[in-house]
Amino acid sequence: MLIGISLISFFIMHLAPGDITNNEASFNPKASEESRQKLRELYHLDKPVIVQYGLWLKRMVQLDFGNSFASHQKPVFWQTKDKDGNVTKGMIQEALPITLMINILGLIITLALAIPLGVIAARHYQSWKDRSITLFNFVGFSIPGFWLSLLLMYWLGVMNNWLPISGLHSLNYDTLDTWGKIKDSLSHLIMPVIIPSVTGLAGITLFVKNGMLDVLNQDYITTARAKGLNEHQVVYTHALRNALLPLITIIGLSIPGLIGGSVIAETIFAIPGMGKLFYDAVLMRDFPVVMGILTIGSALTLMGNLIADVSYAWADPRVRRGVVRG
Amino acid sequence: MIGAMTAEPSGLIYMVAGESASAAIASNIFNALLKYNATLDLEGDLAESWVISPDQKTITFKLKPNLSWADGQPLTSADVLFTWKLVTDENTRSPYASDYQLVKKVDTPDPLTFSVTYDQAYAPALDSWSGLQILPEHLLKGQDVHTTTFARKPVGSNFYQLDVWKNGENIQLSRNPKSVLGPAQIDKLITRIIPDNSAQFLELMADNIDNMGLDPIKYSRIIPSRPDLKQKLNLYKELGNSYTYMGFNLKHKPFDDQRVRKAINYAIDKQEIIDGVYLGLGINIASPYKPGTRWSNPDLNPYPYDPSKAKALLKEAGFMDTDGDGILERDGKPFAFEIITNQNKEREKSAVLIQRRLKEVGIDVNIRAIEWASFISRFIKTGDFDVVVLGWGLGLDPDQFNIWHSSQQAPGQFNFIGYNNTTIDKLLEQGRTELDPDKRMKIYHEFSKVLLEDCPIVYLSAGYGLTAIHKRVQGIANPVPPAGVGYDSHKWYIPEPLRRNEFSAQ
Repeated sequence: MLIGISLISFFIMHLAPGDITNNEASFNPKASEESRQKLRELYHLDKPVIVQYGLWLKRMVQLDFGNSFASHQKPVFWQTKDKDGNVTKGMIQEALPITLMINILGLIITLALAIPLGVIAARHYQSWKDRSITLFNFVGFSIPGFWLSLLLMYWLGVMNNWLPISGLHSLNYDTLDTWGKIKDSLSHLIMPVIIPSVTGLAGITLFVKNGMLDVLNQDYITTARAKGLNEHQVVYTHALRNALLPLITIIGLSIPGLIGGSVIAETIFAIPGMGKLFYDAVLMRDFPVVMGILTIGSALTLMGNLIADVSYAWADPRVRRGVVRG
Repeated sequence: MIGAMTAEPSGLIYMVAGESASAAIASNIFNALLKYNATLDLEGDLAESWVISPDQKTITFKLKPNLSWADGQPLTSADVLFTWKLVTDENTRSPYASDYQLVKKVDTPDPLTFSVTYDQAYAPALDSWSGLQILPEHLLKGQDVHTTTFARKPVGSNFYQLDVWKNGENIQLSRNPKSVLGPAQIDKLITRIIPDNSAQFLELMADNIDNMGLDPIKYSRIIPSRPDLKQKLNLYKELGNSYTYMGFNLKHKPFDDQRVRKAINYAIDKQEIIDGVYLGLGINIASPYKPGTRWSNPDLNPYPYDPSKAKALLKEAGFMDTDGDGILERDGKPFAFEIITNQNKEREKSAVLIQRRLKEVGIDVNIRAIEWASFISRFIKTGDFDVVVLGWGLGLDPDQFNIWHSSQQAPGQFNFIGYNNTTIDKLLEQGRTELDPDKRMKIYHEFSKVLLEDCPIVYLSAGYGLTAIHKRVQGIANPVPPAGVGYDSHKWYIPEPLRRNEFSAQ
């Protein structure tokens, strides 16, 4: 599976015209064609694509992701140490935690908002509550994220100075005490985390709502009601647990997004995350970085799907029985 | 002082990093042998003086006495020699090595003297020594220049030294007390990396950064219309060393015909492009040199907008509207071509204005904008284009051999328009071997004149570089001298009461 993914991405990347030498100081009349040719030979870019893939695969099986062409030969994945003990951190090593943190926080907030909203909308189906939640969701869904970001940056950052506009830390971060550091980090994270969650709310709320509606019409809910359980128990103990099952799949599917990050949000908020890293690497034709991100991304995605499947079995006895029988 | 830039440098050894972000930071940390002064004449940086031998082949630099690196080690001609060896080393991947590879012999008779000998007199040599940042031998010897951590922890000799580099966030420099040129006024120079231009502008509005480069809309519309911004920002404009042009593929018909090229030049309203695209923040040029500098020929005038002359020239070249559809034909084929450009808003807009003006004289133009890497490898390298709208950003030396000489047409070289003119070739060759500035000036004035007459490209405009700097930063020359707003930034200062609190505590 991984080999298939890497093969396809490798060829697509090399199908795009141009290579790193078209970018690295390429249109400066002082830079000569000979020095570009030298560079191409060094990176084996003069060889046929299939040979390049072979070389890449050979390094890959030793888990050597190589060094970036563009960024001063920084290791793509994990840190290396030179003979003097200087550590150079890997590019993915630096970017991935930032992106994961922002996206997981975002996902938690989205879920924390979407589940209650979905439940309310389903219980009061077609009432004003349902309608206003739907309206709110669709407004959030339709607003372009970058536009909302810029407006909020202007309002909260320029006009009122309540929140920092961009970046991850204040410049005086290192001089703050622990509490100050936490406060500083959080205030930098508020906008980049909340804005995508609001715009992403619509999908999940609708999903929860429809799941709830389905479940509430099932026979066993009628049974539960007939047993004389109170409404609270019916909704939260019996209905919600069943309605949430498909959500596991949704979360499983969102894993590539969690790892990939968002180019637009990261660019606007000046966050050095995965989306920006990948986008820049593609524009620079920095093949080792592109391939490194794709490989690690797909490995993590496959792992995520596996975990989703396993937890599905854990959460739903019906699936578990199916597995045993099969 | 806090600034911002859109891209992070890959490393601070400019000769291998090669990008402008690296140059912007590294130039605060390292010195070269020579530098340009306010009026763009060369003066000593590390060098105290330099002597050119009578045969113009040898240049001898005398270093200033008692130079030292920020770590206290002496800076001598051995470091210069080391840097030269490094940049010309076969294993060093420097895009800029070619100038230095022309040096045939180097000599360091004593720690203060460094001399270079060329096979032939090479006029751009002096300029090249203003571009080579001298690196410390004692820290880099035996290291691989491409992987060394020195690129992220440099030790230099200039006004500032690196304090902290927070990956993807900011680069903080502080004053180097051992600076070879005396102390700078401002204690700390912080550059934040903010990729998005709008976010950068919001930071400027919120006072979180002190300076940024502007685009014409911000410079001439947004800031003047907002009193709060006008009150706290100073605006500066300077002519950049670059220009936008429309270049013909001279190997394709009918662009091999000088009359056709001239006709197109007359048909384009350059002022309209400057006003419409650059909001008036550019000027019309007649030579490939920055107006107001020594190399720019003051007697030349740009082609005026004159559609009737354009039509007459096209008629002379055999183009006529035979079928009455408003498009000219020659030999039954309509005059139509495609302008290609990279995805650059200003160039795209310029192309649209050109399209309309050319339609008026009967030429049918299509426009295509292409992503940069594809643009270069698919169209420019293969010569598979009719007309391009592009820009040249040039160095300060007038030598433009790589762009115009007929020998520079191989794929990947810069005369991709296929220009071939023996007079031009000869002038370029002369200009390269003449080190006397006055004689050289005459050569390049003549060169510009022939070039303008032959019209291988249409100069569209030279845009201004626009900068906003917070008023707390003082001592900035305005109007900006030819060398640009930042050339003497070490003399800028921030009066005590206006400094940022978060740093004065330290």
